[in-house]
Amino acid sequence: MTPIIEVNDVCKIYPSRRGIRTLVGRGGLGDWLRRRNTTTFNALNHVTLNVQPGESIGIIGRNGSGKSTLLKILAGVTLPTTGNVIVRGRVASLLELGAGFAPVLTGRENIYLNAGLLGMRHRQVDAVIEDIIEFSGIRDFVDQPVDTYSSGMFVRLAFSVAIHTSPDIFLADEVLAVGDEEFQRKCRRKIGELREQGKTILFVSHDLGVINALCERVVLLNKGKVLLRETPQKTIMYYLRQVGREAGVHTYRDGDVEAIFCDGRISLYRQGEEFTSPIGVHANVQSLGSWHASPTSADWTALHRRENGCTAEGQMARMPAKWVWEQSIVDGAWQMTVSLVCERELSIQRIEVCLALSSEYAHWIYGDHDAPFPAIMPQDLQWDVLAAPEKSVQHVAALPTPASPLPPVDISVDLHDTRLFTLWANSDYNQYSRLFVVAGNFPENGGLFPPGAHRLFSWRLDTAQSAETIRTQMKAERTLRCGRMELFFEHGYINVAADGIALTAPPHFYTSMLIEGLWHNSHSLQWTGAIEADGSLRMTGESRRFPLRQHWRITPKHNAASVLIHLEVTEPLRVEEYHASIGLTAAYTNWSTDHESGVFAEITPQADIWKHMNRSFIPGRHIAATGPNLPRIALDTTPTQDSLPYRMTAINTSHRENARVLQALCASDAGEIRFVPGQYVYFSGVLRMDDA
Amino acid sequence: MQTRIYHSDEQRQIWRVVPDLIRARELLRDLITKDFRVKYRYAAMGVAWAVIEPLALTFVLSFVFVFVFPSRVSGTPGAEAPFPVSLLCALIFWQFSASALSAATVSLVTYQDLVKKNCFAREIIPLSMACYPLINLGLGFVILIAMHLSFGGGIGWSLALFPLVFIIQFVMTAGLALLFSCSHVLFRDVGYMVNVALLFGFYATPIFYRLEWVMAKSSLPEAVQQNHPWLEPLYPWLQRLYLLNPMAELMTAYRQMLFESRFPDLWLLGWPAVMAALALALGVTVFRRNAALLSDHL
Repeated sequence: MTPIIEVNDVCKIYPSRRGIRTLVGRGGLGDWLRRRNTTTFNALNHVTLNVQPGESIGIIGRNGSGKSTLLKILAGVTLPTTGNVIVRGRVASLLELGAGFAPVLTGRENIYLNAGLLGMRHRQVDAVIEDIIEFSGIRDFVDQPVDTYSSGMFVRLAFSVAIHTSPDIFLADEVLAVGDEEFQRKCRRKIGELREQGKTILFVSHDLGVINALCERVVLLNKGKVLLRETPQKTIMYYLRQVGREAGVHTYRDGDVEAIFCDGRISLYRQGEEFTSPIGVHANVQSLGSWHASPTSADWTALHRRENGCTAEGQMARMPAKWVWEQSIVDGAWQMTVSLVCERELSIQRIEVCLALSSEYAHWIYGDHDAPFPAIMPQDLQWDVLAAPEKSVQHVAALPTPASPLPPVDISVDLHDTRLFTLWANSDYNQYSRLFVVAGNFPENGGLFPPGAHRLFSWRLDTAQSAETIRTQMKAERTLRCGRMELFFEHGYINVAADGIALTAPPHFYTSMLIEGLWHNSHSLQWTGAIEADGSLRMTGESRRFPLRQHWRITPKHNAASVLIHLEVTEPLRVEEYHASIGLTAAYTNWSTDHESGVFAEITPQADIWKHMNRSFIPGRHIAATGPNLPRIALDTTPTQDSLPYRMTAINTSHRENARVLQALCASDAGEIRFVPGQYVYFSGVLRMDDA
Repeated sequence: MQTRIYHSDEQRQIWRVVPDLIRARELLRDLITKDFRVKYRYAAMGVAWAVIEPLALTFVLSFVFVFVFPSRVSGTPGAEAPFPVSLLCALIFWQFSASALSAATVSLVTYQDLVKKNCFAREIIPLSMACYPLINLGLGFVILIAMHLSFGGGIGWSLALFPLVFIIQFVMTAGLALLFSCSHVLFRDVGYMVNVALLFGFYATPIFYRLEWVMAKSSLPEAVQQNHPWLEPLYPWLQRLYLLNPMAELMTAYRQMLFESRFPDLWLLGWPAVMAALALALGVTVFRRNAALLSDHL
């Protein structure tokens, strides 16, 4: 095929003293008259490059490497000193947005003028002017003078004109880093469309993420020479290694894991394969309504550079705060601690730190959830959150498709700021990645960050395990074996099984408190991961609504587990009643307490509320349930000095839940229980399994 | 959409200026209207200023030469034409060239954003600057005719000759605009030189006096003769030098057409036509040769 652009052995020599001429001296009028070029600048040095129709090419290189000069020559703004350029087709060059806008003309008049500069006739503009106005999103202002526009509107209009000139070749020089996040997405999408229409695209950009996402081939220029013309991944990696000594870039490795930190974005590789997507690890902060993205609105310096890590500090440009990312690779696992240092008190609405994985990852694991990623479709303009964000699972994993060379990724997160949570999501179509996000939503006035350093969280990515190992490990980690009885810990509840057969049904073993007329379940608390200590497992759940925490401590025994739950109250609190309960499968048929025993009634389809089976509400200590061919389950309380007496009750749930519940309820005769700040025993007892 | 193949070297070939300009004609029109809008949009009186400016100049010069130096004005050849009309007739045409050249010379530097970032026929920037004062000229011409009629003048068929003569002036102005604008990018001194030349030209062109007054004098005024007798033999040479200024002939041709209702003397058109052709050829050649590299010098 005939190349659409041919650059044949092009050199470009600039006169060194542009715009200035004196009568005497070097480069002055005298030298010019004598045709003596004393000082010149060699911007391009024998560059040869062919571009096929439909290719999208990125051009990268350090400042002064000749990127913009090459684009200018292709755009016809200047001529090569030697060599020639053949361009077969209409060129739209976006060397600068809005060059040629007249401030006193209206938006509409400027559209015609600017499109004319880009080579369009009035007749052609008439055909697309509605599209231009629509795309720029400034319809209401289009008949007002451009000098009344905000800079964002101005840039949007300029881009919109350029993109609608229906060129065969589209040249863009660093113009995509304009406008707000939403408009940038729109631009990228539009460029993606152009690419699908078979247009040829040439980009110059410092934003390697954009280059990686939009280009098929990347040309690396260095001192006016083409150094490499390869796939984005290879060229960018080569480039980053080459410029590795620059302030905001550091490459570090350990074993077969390699990480490249580049100005607020981290790309991760294992055995030379990048398993992050082009947008890599990055962070966004929303403060006072505007977003601050780590790669674009922060100035980064990599400190403490080591073979296997560095500490990167990113001073945010429009916000008195900086990121501190302590990164390292230890034993083949990449880890990072993220802190935010505020210079003064800051109001923050949202924080997102994203790990964007390649779209080759097919499965996500999030606590007890294990599901495939849905496909990302072109109409997806927003994130598709897959894992419930109200639960904050801190050990997750992503598994690649079987054919993929990418490794399974096992992620453990340690949230230092308990207001943060984690989630899995599919990105929008442009970013085309699987996202694991540590995020924090702070409501109005809830996100006041005092001055100083705030450690937000740390995470660790292990890529050395097989998918099978990760699955078994994640299960084992949440399992406590007590003889034949197995307890699985979920966030805020415990599943019980015997010999692999589930005995409990939702809501499983859980707690609930009636506060201000509403039941407040342990499911809705924010739980830290289980910590093993002294042979028992400890977990802490913190309420986001009330000043309370629950500390659960489970100690395994033979076919039993002792459960000790402490309630920590930080501010005076009134609770109407509270309980600890276990939900059993509907196969359990009989119940017994200290005082009476009976049969669970049939749960009829009409049952829409929970129904007590027992008649006596005298405080007791024991309750148990039995069923045919099922082990007997007993909840034995062991009251301590300061615990209230328990009322042991057997309950049928509604038909929808279809479970039997054994409950240990604490209620005060006064109608409410007042807690002053302090720690209380909430529940103390043993969950026991006996053979039938 | 037609596909255009371009070799970058072709941009310097002179004949390509024709298709390039044809392609850019709409852009040229847009730029001219833009300049006009930009100039008057935020002025409360708007386009009225285009009329007031030449009228004010006519008024003040008329005042000086009718009341302050009346002796030189009356009783000399050509005095049958009322002074203000005669003045305005030359003034609007001189103003056209003067404002076109002073704006066009610096235009490439003024619009360097366009030149550095877009690819189009560069000629249209100085040309739009050269065309834009046409609007003022047109308004001025209407006033001229009105004033001529109000001073009792008559209008003849010779009015139709104005465009013919003006084409010579326009071509010359456009050629010089191309030449000066391009050289101004390379040597910023050109802008000042043009301004000095225009100031000089205002007095060296028969605007508030008539060509006949210069040519008819066979000798210098007495006072000059006495103090500088060596000037006497040089005077015929000075007259010939004076006639080298093509504007001198053109202004006289306009006056002949307006006041005498006749085809102007042919010698008044010949020399300007030669100069116009030269200026255009030189302007286009120099501009084309340098246009593609102008952005390197901005």
